[in-house]
Amino acid sequence: MTDPVFLLLYIFLFPGFFFLVAYALFLSYLDRKIAARMQQRVGPPLYQPFADFIKLLGKEVINLDGMDRRLVDAIPLVALAAVMTAFLYVPVLGYSPLAFSGDLVVVLYLMALPTMALFLLGWLSRNIFSAVGGVRAVTQLFIYEVPFFLALLTPAIMAGSWSISEIVLWQQQNLWLVFFQPIGFIVALVGLQAKLERTPFDIPEAETEIIGGPWTELTGRRLALMHLTTEVSLVTGSTLIAALFLGGPMLPWALPFPWLNAAAGFGLFLAKTLAILLVLSSISAATGRLRIDQLNDIGWKYLASAALVQVGIVLVINYLWVTP
Amino acid sequence: MSVLLEMIQNLLSRPVTILYPREKVPVPDTFRGRVAISDDKCIGCSKCSLICPAQVIRMIEGPRDVEFKGKNIARKKRPQVKLFQCIRCGLCERHCPTGAIHLAPEFGGSGTDREVVIT
Amino acid sequence: MPEVVIPIGPQHPALKEPVNFRIIADGEKIVRLELNLSYNHRGIEKAAEQRNFIRVLPLLERVCGICSHSHATCFAKGIEEIMGLEIPPRARYIRTIIAELERMHSHLLWLGVAAHEIGFNTLFMWTWRDREAVQDTLEEMSGNRVHYNMNEIGGVRCDLTPAQIEAALLRLPNLEERIKKYREMVDSEETLLIRFRGVGSMSREEALNYGAVGPTARASGVDYDVRRDDPYLAYAEVPWNVVTDTRGDVYGRTRVRIGELWESSQIVRFCLENIPRGPIRVDAPKNAPKGEILSRYEAPRGELAHYIRTNGTDKVERIDIRTPTLANWTSVAVCLVNKNLADIPVIVAAIDPCLSCTSRMVVVNNERRTNGAGAPGVQITSDPKNRQNRM
Repeated sequence: MTDPVFLLLYIFLFPGFFFLVAYALFLSYLDRKIAARMQQRVGPPLYQPFADFIKLLGKEVINLDGMDRRLVDAIPLVALAAVMTAFLYVPVLGYSPLAFSGDLVVVLYLMALPTMALFLLGWLSRNIFSAVGGVRAVTQLFIYEVPFFLALLTPAIMAGSWSISEIVLWQQQNLWLVFFQPIGFIVALVGLQAKLERTPFDIPEAETEIIGGPWTELTGRRLALMHLTTEVSLVTGSTLIAALFLGGPMLPWALPFPWLNAAAGFGLFLAKTLAILLVLSSISAATGRLRIDQLNDIGWKYLASAALVQVGIVLVINYLWVTP
Repeated sequence: MSVLLEMIQNLLSRPVTILYPREKVPVPDTFRGRVAISDDKCIGCSKCSLICPAQVIRMIEGPRDVEFKGKNIARKKRPQVKLFQCIRCGLCERHCPTGAIHLAPEFGGSGTDREVVIT
Repeated sequence: MPEVVIPIGPQHPALKEPVNFRIIADGEKIVRLELNLSYNHRGIEKAAEQRNFIRVLPLLERVCGICSHSHATCFAKGIEEIMGLEIPPRARYIRTIIAELERMHSHLLWLGVAAHEIGFNTLFMWTWRDREAVQDTLEEMSGNRVHYNMNEIGGVRCDLTPAQIEAALLRLPNLEERIKKYREMVDSEETLLIRFRGVGSMSREEALNYGAVGPTARASGVDYDVRRDDPYLAYAEVPWNVVTDTRGDVYGRTRVRIGELWESSQIVRFCLENIPRGPIRVDAPKNAPKGEILSRYEAPRGELAHYIRTNGTDKVERIDIRTPTLANWTSVAVCLVNKNLADIPVIVAAIDPCLSCTSRMVVVNNERRTNGAGAPGVQITSDPKNRQNRM
């Protein structure tokens, strides 16, 4: 059993709560900066996401008539807690101390919670735009979740384990899974983009159509926490994909000292999440928003079948390679 | 594809934004900015006041001897412009026989006080 | 799902100006919609009747911020015709240059807005960046980015110096390259094609039926452009083509506007290179003889008409401004029926609406002494039964 002090530090200081929030705000800054520079704008200063967060925390919370105040207060907290918990199971420096067999399923479940939270917020806001946005959020969830799950479960099939840390270890001994599953990797990236509701999948919050969707009536700390939730989701999601497809924080060979291993792992974690962020930012800068019916077409016709093809390929590889 | 290419090009080049207080945009000579009156040139003909679309030029007492086309004229009036009601159309400048009233190439600014005047 | 009423506007992020749609939607499908215009009536026509011809031009420029030169030129053109004035060729060329530069900045602005409506903000930023070059040219020539005030009855206010012409010609090659690039981008960018193709399509018959004008009509294959069919200014002397498209959807309108951008840049180039020498204005009489005229002008958004009646004084007796947006509204109301809720911003933006310019007509139903549901202004509705009651 691990040392409780170490566990507490892991949860609250690094890579848990404090580091996670800081890194989430930093990634949000980078995302905005990259998008700005691609559009030849200057972009925000480094402290901007943090300043936004603090500012929103200090703003007035507006309660609409007939809104269930306590529920609306609680939902953003639940969503934030869910994605933060999910992050603890993803290996950042090496083997996650909280890992258990089957944590991949828990992580995927926890990462689906913010969308449900958005739906509930939209429903509770008693605003037509919020309600439409909430319905769109859930519709979209049903479209992208299937290919996303399939794409993220194929590494588990290949590595023969449902634990993310085990999958990372398997990749250390063999090869990065992206070489076996390029299709799955692409589907996972697209799915993550859809999960984070970034263009071209920002259908639930389409500003020019339904003002802000479920976000319309969010104010003050609720809005701040929901923003933080999406930012933390970005970190969790990109770390998860880095762990499942890009070998996570592990070097293919062991370094002489454990601290050097940890430092290298941290460097790899930074490099891989930043690379994934760059890809995600480019996608959102290079596209316009789809329509929900068009997304339905694309999601089920192409994404889901691509993910299924990937599963088939993995099963064939497993049969030929692992069985003997 | 062309979109992606240009995005990468932009990522590697400098942004085009002009950071205003630090960098300044060059203002062309023709810019129609704040209205200005050279009192020594004005002959008090009232043309500007008659032509002004927004009717913000009023002729006030301003006796002075001015030279115009080699002749000395004792003018009686001079114009007074309500700065923030001026629409900076440039018609006074165009109709002024001496070029006394003109739009300077500096920013006119804006304000809520209707009675701020320039003489 | 039962029918839901979704109010869009008068304040809504998709709308830059106040207008109100009441959309009756079934899920994501639009069943019917009602349109309330005229939230921003400014009484410009009445104000114009009280100013003489010199003072009225700056006022008419302020009908619209984007097509300000159009309104002033349209009016000046009409009054000059009543007075029997022939403006000097150099003045005609200068007016044409400003008009086409204005069309370019308006279309670039539109392209950005259309991209923004589908959330494609990168294209939005790029077009607005390139629009700055046009605006800089206009500022150099006229002294202002928006209200150029170049027109005067009988000519133009100020001349173009050789230095200004040179500077404008220097900016043109870059702009032409960008226009080519935008055509390429619009043709190849997948999400943009998905959102624009087949959206808001209108057949040629419908376009004629609902009186659509400008790029909206030309995208449906209506080969009509005032610049060619009733030439004014220097258009008869300049080689250029009317851009049309047969698709009739938002994609077609985008293609038409990008084509017009190219044509405009060529017209500007030709005019700058071949600008005749000579005076820039003739002296206009103070009063206009009694008469009436319908002055037509191809504004960036379509055909603009000024009806002017004079009575022998130095003021107009009546001026009536029909902006192109008013002509295009009915086509929007028709296009939207049975479409997706998410397509509203795109279809509305596709006619390049200029709402406050349009706000000047009030129809009162004499029998019921109402104008609809107590809302200000006209109520256009796409339901034929309702239309008879309300209009």
